[in-house]
Amino acid sequence: MATMRLPSGTYHQTYQQDQAWWQTRFVWLRMIGLLFILLVFIPLWMPVLFPDIGLYVVSVANLIGYTILSAMGVQLLIGYAGQLTLGHSAFIAVGGYTSAICMLMFGIPYPITIILAALTAGLWSMLFGLPSVRVKGYYLIMTTMAAQFITVDFIITQYVAQIGGRGQAFSIPPGTITFGPIEIDNDIKVYYLMIALVIACMVFVGNLLRTRVGRAWLAIRDNDIAAEVLGVNVVRYKLAAYFVGGALGGIAGSFWITSIYAVSPEHFTWSWSLWVVGVILIGGVGSLYGTVFGAMFMTLVPEILRFAVAPLQPVFPQLMTNFQFLKESVFGLSIVLFLLYEPKGLAYRWWQIKNYLHLWPFSY
Amino acid sequence: MPDHDDGVQLQVQNVYMAFGGVGALKGIHLRVRQGEIFSIIGPNGAGKTVMLNCISGLYKPQRGKILFEGKDITSLRPYQRARLGFSRTFQKIELFRGMTVLDNIRLGRHLHLHANLWSGGLYFGRAEREEIANREFIEREIIDLLEITHIRNQVVGMLPYGLQKRVELARALALQPRLLILDEPMAGLTLEEVEDMARFILDVNEDPKWRVTCILVEHDMGVVMDISHQVAVLNFGEKIADGKPDEIQRDERVHHAYLGEKEDLYVTRR
Ligand SMILES: Nc1ncnc2c1ncn2[C@@H]1O[C@H](COP(=O)(O)OP(=O)(O)OP(=O)(O)O)[C@@H](O)[C@H]1O
Ligand SMILES: [Mg+2]
Repeated sequence: MATMRLPSGTYHQTYQQDQAWWQTRFVWLRMIGLLFILLVFIPLWMPVLFPDIGLYVVSVANLIGYTILSAMGVQLLIGYAGQLTLGHSAFIAVGGYTSAICMLMFGIPYPITIILAALTAGLWSMLFGLPSVRVKGYYLIMTTMAAQFITVDFIITQYVAQIGGRGQAFSIPPGTITFGPIEIDNDIKVYYLMIALVIACMVFVGNLLRTRVGRAWLAIRDNDIAAEVLGVNVVRYKLAAYFVGGALGGIAGSFWITSIYAVSPEHFTWSWSLWVVGVILIGGVGSLYGTVFGAMFMTLVPEILRFAVAPLQPVFPQLMTNFQFLKESVFGLSIVLFLLYEPKGLAYRWWQIKNYLHLWPFSY
Repeated sequence: MPDHDDGVQLQVQNVYMAFGGVGALKGIHLRVRQGEIFSIIGPNGAGKTVMLNCISGLYKPQRGKILFEGKDITSLRPYQRARLGFSRTFQKIELFRGMTVLDNIRLGRHLHLHANLWSGGLYFGRAEREEIANREFIEREIIDLLEITHIRNQVVGMLPYGLQKRVELARALALQPRLLILDEPMAGLTLEEVEDMARFILDVNEDPKWRVTCILVEHDMGVVMDISHQVAVLNFGEKIADGKPDEIQRDERVHHAYLGEKEDLYVTRR
């Protein structure tokens, strides 16, 4: 963790100030500016000012939000606790289905189903975390991949998706997903829900990381022997990491159903599991902001690519039809390039730029 | 427990440990009394580190027992022994290199903190108060004591070796241990740093606030003979002598074990 550089002349009177997140007025102003952009500018002004693309921007933002929520648990597991997860879609799926089933079969209000989804997915993830107590390395790759195939391809496809004779997809009737009196029925409402969930999850994880729980995770990641000698029950904290990581996935799943009003096993592919690992590799392993940067990068690049390819379509019609292939190639290529040239991810580059600006004009 | 009465805190009984048929410890007995500095010395490869690993629970001896305050702890895991008050440093420094000094020490406080997944995630309130009280404790009791105020926010991996050794001691002390296990805390230090380190060890051993029992493995004979109450000598996995420092210095078998590196017993550090 990088230490914060304070402007000269700023001193702390208390440890509380020294341990706070936003330590200077400048940072506070910047965060307020950011909140304004997120809460007012993008959802309210964009669609009015730019009617052609405003709503499109909101929907892309929703996709970014879903990617952040999906990747946050992966970041926690891989980036902070040092535990592998290559089947995270499984827990997202468990979350999505828990939410849907609780609403459709038991009539539980949507906000409560988010919590239930988190708990269920967390416990399910813990189950697949159990092998991590015993095995390391390649075997763990297999067991975390097994989560994907056992959960999505077997249990959900064969059994859960058949509940009530529905066949593959659960569709969620309009009027089901409500927050109190407000029905989540358009992209802008989904957007606000997304912002609320992303902020809540980021704050929760960020807080955990500055208490003994998060420190124990980092300790296990960096040196499990030293951690254990200091009194950290390594097994328990690994399982706790799987629980929280899975629970975050569950929240992502619960969010997913709002944007599409349906849930089907095909939404939770193995390639999405790998995609979110790519998100943290590109954004920066072990950085919460990195998750956000990675999600933005991985969502925006394919969108920009789509625009870039569109004019070429008359000449190369197969570009558009094979867009998925193109997108995944770019995905693979960017991961390779990042691992080679920017192994610390976008978050580190951001940190460097910030430091540079901070010292400017004396930045030598 | 008669041993408990005469102040014996830790007892190692007939501990046997072999790696693939090669015996590293062959039936070791040790009795460490409450509040003493108990040193284990011996030539390279004698089995000192293996002994410490058995005591702190990283290795499980194949035969024999380890008792702490009369209780059999042979099958306890290291984190469970930490709860009983065990703490240690390592011969090959085992710090969290990417973290700051403060965070390393905070990790040493793990057992004294109570935040859980829920209260930690919410942070404001209970967890925050705890973190601030903890910070005060660390500043007041650990950082001041070990004179590392100036480096508290630095990343450990960047620090010079001598300071890293000191930070490792700081982290071990943050547990407020009852038994402190030190594996070669002076190795590789400059003369001045050795003196500081010896002073810190004496401080926590003698200060009524700490009164920590220390088990010390060290090659610097000057320091060992100076600060120990009791010394045990290992050679090829066997204990060849056990007694007060002056008795050890006079012991024929000890001289024999150190044959060829005779000066080693009196002066040097490696
Ligand atoms: N994990 C292990 N696996 C196999 N052999 C080991 C292991 N640990 C120690 N040994 C062997 O046990 C013997 C004692 O080693 P130990 O590290 O305890 O020596 P030491 O007394 O600490 O020496 P030094 O002063 O060099 O630190 C050595 O022969 C060593 O090779
Ligand atoms: Mg050793």
